[in-house]
Amino acid sequence: MNGNLYHNRTAQWIIYIVIFALLALVPFVFDNPFTLNQYARYIIFSLTAVSVSLVWGYGGILSLGQGIAFGMGAYGMGATMQMQFQDPESDPIPSFMLTNELETLPTVWEPFWSTPIGLTLALGIPTLFFLFFGYMMFQARVAGVFVAIMTLAMLAAWYSVVYDMQPFTAGFNGISPPLPFEIFETSVDPYSSLAYWICVAALIILTLSTKFILHTKFGLIVQAMRDDPERARFLGYNVAYYQTVLFTMSGFIAAIAGILWVMITQYVSPTSMEIMLSISMVIWAAVGGRTSLLGAIIGAFLINLGQSYAGDEFRATWLIILGVVFIAVVLFLPKGLTGLFEIIIGKLSGSNNGARQSG
Amino acid sequence: MAILELNNVVKTYNDYSVVNGFNFSVNEGELRCLIGPNGAGKTTSIDLITGRQKLTSGTVHFDGKNITKLLERQIVGLGIGRKFQVPAVFKELTVRENFEVALSEKRGPFQNMNPFSKKRGRKHFNRIIELAGLGSRLDSIAGYLSHGETQWLEIGMVLMQKPRLLLMDEPTAGMTEQETQKTSEIFKELKGDHTLVVVEHDMSFVRSIADVISVMHQGKMLAEGSLSEIEQHPKVKEVYLGTEGIN
Repeated sequence: MNGNLYHNRTAQWIIYIVIFALLALVPFVFDNPFTLNQYARYIIFSLTAVSVSLVWGYGGILSLGQGIAFGMGAYGMGATMQMQFQDPESDPIPSFMLTNELETLPTVWEPFWSTPIGLTLALGIPTLFFLFFGYMMFQARVAGVFVAIMTLAMLAAWYSVVYDMQPFTAGFNGISPPLPFEIFETSVDPYSSLAYWICVAALIILTLSTKFILHTKFGLIVQAMRDDPERARFLGYNVAYYQTVLFTMSGFIAAIAGILWVMITQYVSPTSMEIMLSISMVIWAAVGGRTSLLGAIIGAFLINLGQSYAGDEFRATWLIILGVVFIAVVLFLPKGLTGLFEIIIGKLSGSNNGARQSG
Repeated sequence: MAILELNNVVKTYNDYSVVNGFNFSVNEGELRCLIGPNGAGKTTSIDLITGRQKLTSGTVHFDGKNITKLLERQIVGLGIGRKFQVPAVFKELTVRENFEVALSEKRGPFQNMNPFSKKRGRKHFNRIIELAGLGSRLDSIAGYLSHGETQWLEIGMVLMQKPRLLLMDEPTAGMTEQETQKTSEIFKELKGDHTLVVVEHDMSFVRSIADVISVMHQGKMLAEGSLSEIEQHPKVKEVYLGTEGIN
């Protein structure tokens, strides 16, 4: 469009497809189940970074509460997997409930006997919650740093709820379903290529459809609202409506990530709603480049890969390293690594039209 | 027939009244200049018309319809466009994208997700770009435009919406003489097809475009009339620079 190949949409789609193809081929490279499981986790974190990129990078809504949807999805999936293990006749109540002196299965757990209903709830409840929460915030025109504060406070509230409701959530210990997730009479071993591919497929489908939607006029309008919501409002747009839709979409993506997380780890605990995790999601997106979905994916992947490999030797200092990287990116590369890439490509293709956002 | 009518409009903050019983009406097709010293309540009046602020009392009618209590976007939907005092454009988007967003025939989020929707209104689109004189800057990022170009971009964006009434808050603020000249040409071209209310400080600009001038002072209408009438008006002289009059 303006000479910089970085902004060429065909080139963008090609890069996306190449990266996704590489991710899909990982099981052929590493046949170590442990490594494969690690990579599946990075894929899931990438998905949360995509949700941050969508809502923050494109919509200007700095949500520190992505963990709400992630955690709700995770608990929904945890309950579903737990009930797959329970037997309605001989063993209807999960053992952690028995130790918490519950004698009957709580009503909120009943629907999870059915896997389809359980999955629907695991996905539907966080999505509806984001719809409701987003509507409350945006119709009151909460913006900027106040969104960050409200989402953070809401996350902290939910964290306390799952932590304290021990008979229902197993509290601090969390729920560890004894068997892998089973669907269509197939058991999805967390260490298998199948589990990995499910995660990659979710990443590909969600990222590409998000990119597709962002390439429509809707994407242009939300970016306009990010730059100047007042101007958009006086062009006749219902800013709150758009923001709510965008926020709900990001909640939906984070919820799927939460569901996959439990499929891969067979464990869910309040850590899924810890503030540190939600802030990390923002850091991944920021480092990779929040105005690019692929940038966010790469950011999440690189940081988590770095954490795993540096982790053992630098366990104590990892947070400091991450903090320094984050500050460096904020100071020198406001658009993250993709911004750097954009500048380089721009120089190579002889365009000095300045940096701008793109898919 | 009056397209815009303000009746006894009052806006107070705590005990301090900014607009205090303001009566104002504009006829269809007119170009009205609204002038007045700083703090007279001009921008506040524009805010009250467009719904950005709510009236303490009084009514605003547009085309016979009471719009006093409507939301901003509903008022926009009826055909009132507004340019802000500090130019407001989408700084990270290109000029073309700014215009695309402004050409809002469909305003719902889901309608705008349809990738196959036909781009309509291209003739109008190109005409406005030509009018704003930004044909060569379409692929530039709006944040890199000069101040004058930013003002034209915003004027063009408002025009994209084909508003029946345009409210322009200081369109020439910060412009060079040539830029002001060009802006007055744009306005002369708009006159007749559109109804315009222009809030302005620059008297030479007002002279070059105005039919009727309204003078606001301390939240009230002070005087209204043609340029010469206003220039001779003793109260206006008093308000502006003591007794030296408008210069």
